[in-house]
Amino acid sequence: MLTFTLRRLSLFIFTMLVLTLLSFSLSFLFPGDTVINHSGQINATATELAQLNKVYQMDKNIFTQYGAYLTHILNGDFGYSMASHSPISIEIIKLLPATIELSLVALFIAMLIGIPLGFIAAINHNKASDNAILSFAMLGYSIPVFWLGLLAILIFSIGLGWLPSAGQISLLFEIEFVTGVQFIDILLSDSPYKWQAFSNASAHIILPACVIALAPATIFIRLSRAAMIEVLAASYIRAAKAKGLSFKQIIFRHAIRNALIQIIRHVGLQFANLVTLAMVTEVIFSWPGIGRWMIESISQRDYTAIQSGLLVLSCFIFIIHILTDFIYAALNPLARGNNHGS
Amino acid sequence: MAREKIYLEEVFPSPFMQLWGIFRKTPVAMVGFCCFIFLIILAIFAPIISPYSPVEGHLDMILLPPAWHTDGNVSYLLGTDELGRDMLSRLMYGTSLTFGLSFIVVIFSLVIGVVIGSLSALTKGIKSSFLNHFLDVILSIPSLLLAIIIVAILGPGIGNTVWAIAIVFIPQFIHITRYAVKEEFRKDYVLASRLDGASNFRILYYSVFPNIVERLMSQATLAQSAAILDIATLGFLGLGAQIPLPEWGAILANGLEHFYIAPWTVYLPGLAILFAVVATNLVGEGIRHALKLRKEN
Repeated sequence: MLTFTLRRLSLFIFTMLVLTLLSFSLSFLFPGDTVINHSGQINATATELAQLNKVYQMDKNIFTQYGAYLTHILNGDFGYSMASHSPISIEIIKLLPATIELSLVALFIAMLIGIPLGFIAAINHNKASDNAILSFAMLGYSIPVFWLGLLAILIFSIGLGWLPSAGQISLLFEIEFVTGVQFIDILLSDSPYKWQAFSNASAHIILPACVIALAPATIFIRLSRAAMIEVLAASYIRAAKAKGLSFKQIIFRHAIRNALIQIIRHVGLQFANLVTLAMVTEVIFSWPGIGRWMIESISQRDYTAIQSGLLVLSCFIFIIHILTDFIYAALNPLARGNNHGS
Repeated sequence: MAREKIYLEEVFPSPFMQLWGIFRKTPVAMVGFCCFIFLIILAIFAPIISPYSPVEGHLDMILLPPAWHTDGNVSYLLGTDELGRDMLSRLMYGTSLTFGLSFIVVIFSLVIGVVIGSLSALTKGIKSSFLNHFLDVILSIPSLLLAIIIVAILGPGIGNTVWAIAIVFIPQFIHITRYAVKEEFRKDYVLASRLDGASNFRILYYSVFPNIVERLMSQATLAQSAAILDIATLGFLGLGAQIPLPEWGAILANGLEHFYIAPWTVYLPGLAILFAVVATNLVGEGIRHALKLRKEN
């Protein structure tokens, strides 16, 4: 396990280096002055500019410049937003938890729906229910997410009036900002309307989370179906059958556990896809998350914000990626051994 | 293998033809393939067969519902939008923008990716390891996020969107080509032609490529369905095709204001995207299914 941890750690450091290098070079690629793109201080006076040039060591060679940039990032200084002139790190701390909350709920829903359906399809391999589930899966990952979001709003918010269509919580509730994750903040607050706020926040999250969850759920269907078919063909299942275990016992005691391990491995990869969907969905449902903020930053030409948003989002995705790797290795001793940089 | 026709020359179909033979016998895949061909034809001939101009408005025919509606007009089969532009013509032109451009983008990335991928498959050691890790990092960033960044650098517009998506899709083709070429190079038939004195490039061209072309095609269909969705999403977000262009995502975003009174301006482009992506995915599924069957035989 130690070598596995070290290997992951070195991969993590390498990835962070590449990502910071990418965001560093973006400052050169974006229109405008490099140091202004770094710092976001668009209205800097001549003396301030000279100061910034000194801080970011713009007169030295490119490696020193990168070092200076890296020091700023490591100190949590992402510069100032060109649009709102507030420090980006504060904006990100406010926005990122909402995105994390939304994407984790969506991931949970996707797994809750996708994995059992995939197992059912695998158990009824090549039968009508298998084909029905597969066709549903094909349709599910072909639907453009923004269209699905609009249809969901039209049907469930405007047509049936069941669920709210925008925002994270009704404005009537005043929840103090502690962690940024709405549900935790509500539980921490001592408001007398705690439970009303909680149910209101849940009603707000259902629709966007389900819209995001659909495409990953269909991918989980395919993954779990493939994993289950593979497990059911294994010889230990035949041995269990020969021992006289019932079909139910085989599925619940042996097959599901082994198939689940294979699926956990892919959760990290799917997460990147899910975050992209979340970015678009945030725009449609006016969710106060980092995706909507980034897309707005592009139309406002807020280059510092785009740069930091990319860094933070891809960092978040990569951390989830590594976490799932660890869970997979913890559950499956076979994976800890020969895993060369894959 | 039983040789019944002793004196007749045996014909072994090439791997590609074997695949086509299996593919042809899967009805669902063939339906998808026909839809795919239909879309390609539509994308090429849209300017000739579309009844109206996609940008010219008919101000006396504003927000006309589709023809099957009681208020519909059969000259405007799928209705009109808020400026009286014919939806059918806009969707037809949109085929060449959304579907046609995604096709070109994928071909472009495929060619570049295959060239870099096969060259990198021939290198070994630290260079190769670095490339591998670098690609892993790039591949772990979502394609839409990267495309958005590139659009932010280049500025919004359909041309820049196409470049952005083309660049974003290159790494996955490098990855799959590299992997496939390395796998083929370990096989005996490559060793045989090497013993005949063939150079690396000759082996690549004559021996390896014919054997990995289907895997690349299967990856290309995956990439294309993603490309259609990405072009449409960027259009929807206002970062891709700009206002008068009839790109499907942009048409959808345009219809948003009249969503409640004229829902067809949102339904129809969405259905068009769905149709194109499903057709592409069916072809891809067909290829993967045929590959699996060919392997089993």
